[in-house]
Amino acid sequence: MNAFDYRSPRSLDEALAVLGEYGEDARVVAGGTALVTMMRQRLVQPSCLVSLRAVQGLDRIETDNGGLRLGALATHREAETSPLVRERIPVLAETFRRVATVRIRHMATVGGALAHADPNQDPPVTLLALGARVEIRGAQGSRELPLAEFFRDYYETALEPGELVTAIRVAPPPPASGAAFLKFLPRTADDYATVAAAAIVILEPDGVRCREARIALGSVGVTPLRARSAEALLAGEGLSENLLRAAGEAAKTAVDPLSDHRGSAAYKREMTAVMVGRALTQAWEAARRAAGTR
Amino acid sequence: MTFTQECTIPVARERLWDFMMEVPRVARCVPGVEAVEALEGGTYRGHFKIQIGPIRLALDGTIVVEAQDRDAWTARMRAEANDRRLGGGIRARLGLTLASAEGGTHVKIETDLAILGKIGEFGQPVIKKKADALLTEFARNLQSAVAV
Repeated sequence: MNAFDYRSPRSLDEALAVLGEYGEDARVVAGGTALVTMMRQRLVQPSCLVSLRAVQGLDRIETDNGGLRLGALATHREAETSPLVRERIPVLAETFRRVATVRIRHMATVGGALAHADPNQDPPVTLLALGARVEIRGAQGSRELPLAEFFRDYYETALEPGELVTAIRVAPPPPASGAAFLKFLPRTADDYATVAAAAIVILEPDGVRCREARIALGSVGVTPLRARSAEALLAGEGLSENLLRAAGEAAKTAVDPLSDHRGSAAYKREMTAVMVGRALTQAWEAARRAAGTR
Repeated sequence: MTFTQECTIPVARERLWDFMMEVPRVARCVPGVEAVEALEGGTYRGHFKIQIGPIRLALDGTIVVEAQDRDAWTARMRAEANDRRLGGGIRARLGLTLASAEGGTHVKIETDLAILGKIGEFGQPVIKKKADALLTEFARNLQSAVAV
């Protein structure tokens, strides 16, 4: 590892000032699960590390207009075990529970994972399906972006130099809806997914047909992504084998996987269809339970 | 790794050729390129910043124009650049061909790229995707620069 300055600001304003002082050579560190590994591999050699550990007030998980607001410094483990998250948006707690190992979940932060923008991560997939929004702070002030506009490229986000993720805001799923997060792990339980899929199905008042579906996918492109053409097929329809197959086929056209040791691009594309079908089935069943039509 | 990229610029071939053979001017159309200066003998020195995955590279290096043939509308260049901090670098051979096409000029860029050090550990598909994104932006910049 290279020699670097280490700064530990006590407030957000102080953190932003330090980032301004060091410019692009500074890297922000929270849990360190991603950045420290890259530093040890000498992939990243910042001249200054700005630790957010001592910054107060950024780790709260709280209600927010009926939805939830997760502070950027909340850990994955806190999101997983939070009674609020479990009660209001159980699929989100379940997604955080599935990340890596409990040791990593105790360190990795909600905001850090977003800023890292590794397309293999799990929480962004579910958050994308939930239509979450990212809160960003910079020296110029605050702004908020839909998560779909936040991820730009492989490990690249809409964050400008000197900006930080401060929170993620998630609206509650509507009534008569169901959600599921699934990942295909052919190797080990703590590995990155070969394909990850999150689905949300919102039912019509009849409690049977789909009013709206949202499908998000991870590990099958340079960013997590929505399978919008597949979503469009589902509106107004009832659950059937043919429909699931068609949605899976449509989802394959949305992905552009990279070949690696977790599978070839062609294999991942095929598995996308399978995982979308399974996630939709589970979400649909959960929605029918919520609507009382099952 | 070798790859071929193509784009069409809505400018006549002669005009585009003359623009592209002036390296400092065309280099400014490449996203991330800073401060290109001419040395002697068709050699240019420049600074190039690019992000590949989590790695931000700051490359210092040279471009040598090895051959240019205005009758065949082809040129060959060689680029070498290093990132001193990360201890890696790139070596590239570039072949450029301009062909008249409907509504402008068809540009073909053939690249033979070698990546040294840590950056090379990133897979070829990632680097190819990045190169494609770079070309798209380059083509757009080139188009507006030539139009002026």
